[in-house]
Amino acid sequence: MSATGARLRLVSVSKRFVRAEQGVAAVDDVSLTVEPGELLTLLGPSGCGKTTTLRMVAGFEQPDSGRVLIDEQDVTGLMVYRRNIGFVFQNYALFPHLTVFVNVAYGLRVKRLGAAVIREKVERVLALVGLPGHARRFSNQLSGGEQQRVAVARAVVVEPRLLLFDEPLSNLDAKLRVQMREELSRLQRQLAITTIYVTHDQEEAMAISDRIAVMQAGRVAQVGTAHDLYRAPRSVFVAQFIGRVNLLPARVLRADTGAAAVTLWGREVTVPADEPVAAGQSVSLVLRPESVALLPERAVAPAPEFAIAGVVRGRTFLGEKVEYAVEVGGTLLQAVSYDPLRHGLFDVGAPVQVACAPASLRLLRGQG
Amino acid sequence: MSPAPAPVSSPRAALRDPVLAPVVVLLWAAVALFVLYPVTRLLALMFWDDGPTLAAVVELVGSWQHRRALWNSLALAGLVGAAGTALGFAFALLAVRANLPRWVGTVLDTIVLLPLISPPFTAAIALIFALGPRGLISYHVFGIAGLNIYGLGGTLLSETLTYFPIAYLTLKGVLANIDPTLEDGGFSLGARRWRVFRTITVPLAVPGIANSFLLLTAASLADFATPLILGGTKFPVLPTQAFLQITGLYDMRGGAALSFLLLVPALAVFVAQRWWTERRSVITVTGKAGAATRVRSLSPGAVAALVLVCALTVLLVLTFYLLIVFASMVRALGADNSFSSAHYAHVFSGGLKAIRDTLVIAAVCMPVGGLFAVVLGYVVARTRFPGRRALEFAAMINYALPGTIVGIAYLVAFNDPPLALTGTAFILVICYVFRYSLAGTRATTALLAQVDPSIEEASASLGARRDVTFRRIVLPLIRPALLAGMTVLFIRAMTAISATIFLVSLSWSLVTVRILEGITNLELGQASAFSVMVILLVYAAVVLSSLIMRRLNAGSLGQAGTLLGG
Repeated sequence: MSATGARLRLVSVSKRFVRAEQGVAAVDDVSLTVEPGELLTLLGPSGCGKTTTLRMVAGFEQPDSGRVLIDEQDVTGLMVYRRNIGFVFQNYALFPHLTVFVNVAYGLRVKRLGAAVIREKVERVLALVGLPGHARRFSNQLSGGEQQRVAVARAVVVEPRLLLFDEPLSNLDAKLRVQMREELSRLQRQLAITTIYVTHDQEEAMAISDRIAVMQAGRVAQVGTAHDLYRAPRSVFVAQFIGRVNLLPARVLRADTGAAAVTLWGREVTVPADEPVAAGQSVSLVLRPESVALLPERAVAPAPEFAIAGVVRGRTFLGEKVEYAVEVGGTLLQAVSYDPLRHGLFDVGAPVQVACAPASLRLLRGQG
Repeated sequence: MSPAPAPVSSPRAALRDPVLAPVVVLLWAAVALFVLYPVTRLLALMFWDDGPTLAAVVELVGSWQHRRALWNSLALAGLVGAAGTALGFAFALLAVRANLPRWVGTVLDTIVLLPLISPPFTAAIALIFALGPRGLISYHVFGIAGLNIYGLGGTLLSETLTYFPIAYLTLKGVLANIDPTLEDGGFSLGARRWRVFRTITVPLAVPGIANSFLLLTAASLADFATPLILGGTKFPVLPTQAFLQITGLYDMRGGAALSFLLLVPALAVFVAQRWWTERRSVITVTGKAGAATRVRSLSPGAVAALVLVCALTVLLVLTFYLLIVFASMVRALGADNSFSSAHYAHVFSGGLKAIRDTLVIAAVCMPVGGLFAVVLGYVVARTRFPGRRALEFAAMINYALPGTIVGIAYLVAFNDPPLALTGTAFILVICYVFRYSLAGTRATTALLAQVDPSIEEASASLGARRDVTFRRIVLPLIRPALLAGMTVLFIRAMTAISATIFLVSLSWSLVTVRILEGITNLELGQASAFSVMVILLVYAAVVLSSLIMRRLNAGSLGQAGTLLGG
């Protein structure tokens, strides 16, 4: 199982569905590169085209236009069974009439390997996924997590060039999901197989991915590491989809390279700007709730911080943190404060100062 | 059919229930009188002659003619099961896996419906028209004279064309229920189409294939009409021999003995079929079957071959029906092809009584049988009284037995006082109710399995008695099952013959009997006209029922396949 990962490239891939119930354009001009050994996640709400993209990589669907290249070899027209991929289905798709052993051996038998080799490989992979001794069971005798492991074993035992996961953890309960995603991540790093992973769960995506491609309405909205996407979303959609966010309306006063001076609630503040903006333009500022600090009314904010008066309008105590809704200049702001036992609580109706570091604000050209 | 947890917790509580107890007693009494008693009388006639005797059995096994009828029946049933299942599988593959345009599936379903709603004899008459000694196809198109369709060949062809739709409907469901991601899984592991078909699709369909084989075998074993027309003297089978023994030789005991011979394989097949369907649930594939693959799991060559087979079959079936329609509108098909309305004139004059009788009987059967079906289904699914399983099984006996046996048993049991019922409309109604209510019962238990018992408990907690709950809560919920059960009763009342042929009289006749008379009197045009009438009436009923089902939002219950599959 020394599979070395392949490089996958999607070049302007598009797919439309004729049938009305599946939406109009399922995938619209998607270009992506997945580096050898990398785990890239396609993340997005249902109907965004992520599964269709994955199925085109696998060969279950044919793109209407564009190309799919594996190690620069064009496989666009190749049938799925000639692509040497491993696919892990959402419902695992274990063959119910075959034992675990025969399920896992299926791809090896298709390749006409010898019985002894098959036995050895199957045993090795079952040990690898933590299921030694389950070879003679049937899938309906396995728990959900065990079925998941068999599905992964069956996909990786053929030493595929690409490993493709279609929401593999969505049928597991929350606790098992966290455990399995760690195991999948470890296994993928160990085998170093280039992997595409489809999910709608942003936490799952952030936990396991080298990079994440956020998809919206058939298009790739943004590609980057989890940190990039969270810190510097390029669109309102990405900002809202990854984590929670306050989008504050602002107006550009002066634009500079990499920064811009804007007015926020009538005050001037200089914020980082990744994209060019022009003076006078209406923009949004991204502010994560945990970047908002609440201070007592008369406290003085540290020098570089932006601070403004507000009133607490709502409070939810969650133990490890407190979530506040604070009214500032007529808009409601989400704020999160950790370790409430140490910092104390603000009451609803209490006047406060809302502070944040200008560097934690991010300029977006769209409107919230 | 695994019943949901029953609201009545203990058998003893069930017995004390002021409504349930009398209902159960009534059901048992009805089943005992109209199911168990006739069968017992039949067995008594066989094995009791002033003391236990095996004389009839000895005579039976000793008769060369009877042994041949037994082997013929078994061979024919096996062949029809195999051929019909193969044909049905081809149709199902084409419908489910070939990615053909949607209208093709609609056309397939519509045409396949025809044999299922036709009266018996239809395929047989059409076969004589098409391929008989002076057949339109064999003689007039191909110029073959003296082609002999009487015997095993013709009977096999006719029964296969009549019953393969059952296989198609069964296997279509089975193939459609195989999660497409399983085949995708095979493809993703490098297997090609033929290998995926061989190692995944077929093994997963095996329970369905076995089920279909057994259903068709049972249908063929019980078929009386086709071999009566096409078997001839050279190819005797048990149902026809039993009929001739009784009506021709007035040998009640001999007929009973022959029908008993039929009972053994028929019961074996029925038990095997039950076993298979219950086993199937082990391997039933669940899961979201949303992302249907667009990988064409059939190669273009395979699709072409299937299209060829199915198109030829459809063509043959269509030809048959066009021939029937044509024959009903000309003077004498093959001899004098000039247009004539004489046959329909006869249907609406001399034949009107049979049609009226049949409709009256159907109209009485529907509410009586429908209510019997849903009450039985409810009681079996939702209560727990002693002997519940036994009642369920006993109520199924008349359905499982070939009609010939049921007819003879009724004749034996109800021919003399105190229960001299033969010749009355009452016995025809009773016969249909206890033979064809099973569909409604099954639909009821299936529907109730989806209804949480807490709904009934809520009604009880608000002070409603069991009968009030049944009337106000359960009955509205299972309206689709009631309708399905009544539709099946209507269809059967219009088309059945094997049991009722023994029970009709001058005062109460049936359309199907008139069709048989038309054939035996060599008035095939009249028989065709009656057949066309029946097909139109039944088709209208199926369409109407489907429309109402759609209004009731009953989903698959309203599909013709559900009404006719069993």
